Amino acid sequence: MGSSQSTTEEHNFQLLADRTGFSLEQIRILHKRFKHLTHDKDTLRREDFEDISDLTFNPIRSQIVEAFFDKRNFGHNEVGSVEEIGFEEFLTVMSHFRPTGQHLTEEEKDKIRQEKLRFLFNMHDKDNDGTITLDEYRHVVEELLSSYPEIESETAKAIADAAMLEVASVTMGQMAPDEFYEGITFEHFLKILKGVEIETKMHIRFLNVDTTTMSCGK
Amino acid sequence: MEGASWDSALVVFEVWLSVVLGLIVLPAMFGVSLGFTDLYIKALVKTLEWATLRIQRGQKEEDALPAHLPNGIIEKDDGSMEEEIGKLRRSHPKSLAGGDFTLCDAFYFCKKGIASIVDDQVTQRFTSEELASWNLLTRTNNNFHYISVRVTIIWGLGVFIRYCILLPLRITLAVLGLSWLVIGTTLVGLLPHSNVKTWISDLIHVTCYRICARALSARIRYHNKENHPKKGGICVANHTSPIDIVILANDGCYAMVGQIHGGLMGVIQRSMVRSCPHVWFERSEMKDRHAVAKRLKDHVADKTKQPILIFPEGTCINNTSVMMFKKGSFDIGATIYPVAIKYDPQFGDAFWNSGKYNMVSYLLRMMTSWAIVCNVWYLPPMSLQDGEDAVHFANRVKSAIARQGGLVDLSWDGGLKREKVKESYKEEQQKMYSSMIVGQD
Repeated sequence: MGSSQSTTEEHNFQLLADRTGFSLEQIRILHKRFKHLTHDKDTLRREDFEDISDLTFNPIRSQIVEAFFDKRNFGHNEVGSVEEIGFEEFLTVMSHFRPTGQHLTEEEKDKIRQEKLRFLFNMHDKDNDGTITLDEYRHVVEELLSSYPEIESETAKAIADAAMLEVASVTMGQMAPDEFYEGITFEHFLKILKGVEIETKMHIRFLNVDTTTMSCGK
Repeated sequence: MEGASWDSALVVFEVWLSVVLGLIVLPAMFGVSLGFTDLYIKALVKTLEWATLRIQRGQKEEDALPAHLPNGIIEKDDGSMEEEIGKLRRSHPKSLAGGDFTLCDAFYFCKKGIASIVDDQVTQRFTSEELASWNLLTRTNNNFHYISVRVTIIWGLGVFIRYCILLPLRITLAVLGLSWLVIGTTLVGLLPHSNVKTWISDLIHVTCYRICARALSARIRYHNKENHPKKGGICVANHTSPIDIVILANDGCYAMVGQIHGGLMGVIQRSMVRSCPHVWFERSEMKDRHAVAKRLKDHVADKTKQPILIFPEGTCINNTSVMMFKKGSFDIGATIYPVAIKYDPQFGDAFWNSGKYNMVSYLLRMMTSWAIVCNVWYLPPMSLQDGEDAVHFANRVKSAIARQGGLVDLSWDGGLKREKVKESYKEEQQKMYSSMIVGQD
């Protein structure tokens, strides 16, 4: 029943588990899901995400999909984007959303929090210059609001401008009239979102499943 | 020498056939059960329980066995968009009025997006349901670990029984049943129109379906028989596989609706229509909605004709949920008799994954499962209320069926099995969010 194949796979899964922090079971489940999305091929492309009907509901769908192909999220400190990803990269991006364990030190928790926020920051900062400029921010606002007949692009711009001003006032205090606010840097980002509980809001809780007694219907 | 072996083979065959006829076919035709199936199912249940306990004992962990997972593998937050975003904003250091926009809002959509990538409500409906414990069929356990000698022996015995004893028996029965149908209906078709003809044709149909049900080792339980569909009405049910027809028709005669096929199916369809009126369409006619609706209306208006059986989902779903009902049959104005069918996946998976298996391999899989056990609930009749449109009526019927069968009620279209989602759905979420932000200004 293909036992030799599964032991090398199991070995790989173990390595991935150590690196990403998922448990073996969760990796198996995600692998099955990966195969399902790619229709049994080895790499995932952007078009494969179009099969997920729940995802089409989501207004920032394109940014989420881009995040999977963004090299910055692969943990190797590279930049740019790729056309297709393998299971390892899929898992690495997913690991930003893994549930945090209870027994972690403050330092570890902080590190995880930083990672999650970095992920979100990268999602908005498309050109990777380290700041979310006004244009990029406007783009996010426009995506979230729709071509709703009552909202023209002017209103969306106004909302984005107001929000940026607020961020500026929080992070930089009072600015001199000729000072130009370039954009939200990562430090500002952290400062604004200090109180928000990212750890609990930004993770996917896997139900506890015992896979040996569970079967995959075929 | 050769002559002797042929003779003995013939004798064996004759004995076999008479046993089958005497013990299974004849009682089946009269609706009498000799109790074999019940005994078999009881023995099966005991064996499976024993096997599950053995497997559990072989486990190191002490986790309790989880129940069926009809809603997927991750926990979903069920709050509405407003609640969730409200929660996110409340933890923000600066208190904000409702009409403002913050980066936090993007988190909500981000998380929802990732969650749906991991597991979504629709694609899981088009694959077979996952079981919480192994039912000793190889096909339902991909990770076939060697558990213990005894379980393996029982599994081997099971394979032998299923493939070498049950399968030939079931194929014989199926062949007998179908040929009885074709021959019987053709003969009846020669009779002139009369009450006797209708009665005989009903008899032939029902007996044929009963034989076919035995061919699948089906144990069907009907609930609320007083709500059985009456003539001049339309019976709607959730669709899991082509076997649904056999299951429902065991308890009464229906007029079928469908496309004329070629080959064996076509022969069966043509002979059926000779003895009692069914509604078969040519492929070209199916596209014309008005023609379809008119024919259904005509059939329903004639009170001597059997109730029509329709599966409004339009495609096979895996029996964990009910998907969108197409409104065509609800527009006709006849009384609707909803029926809920729920299969017990423990004994055999009835779902037909038409992308993966063709009809023949599907039937073979059915005939090599342990059994088909299902419950059929007849729900009280419903009709279009004043001021209600067909879509709303369809949803009402769908919810009633979902509630009775213990299935999840989804409003997604079953057609998503083959097509992609329309762009218009994406705008709905955006409109909702924008009304949240701008509405208060």
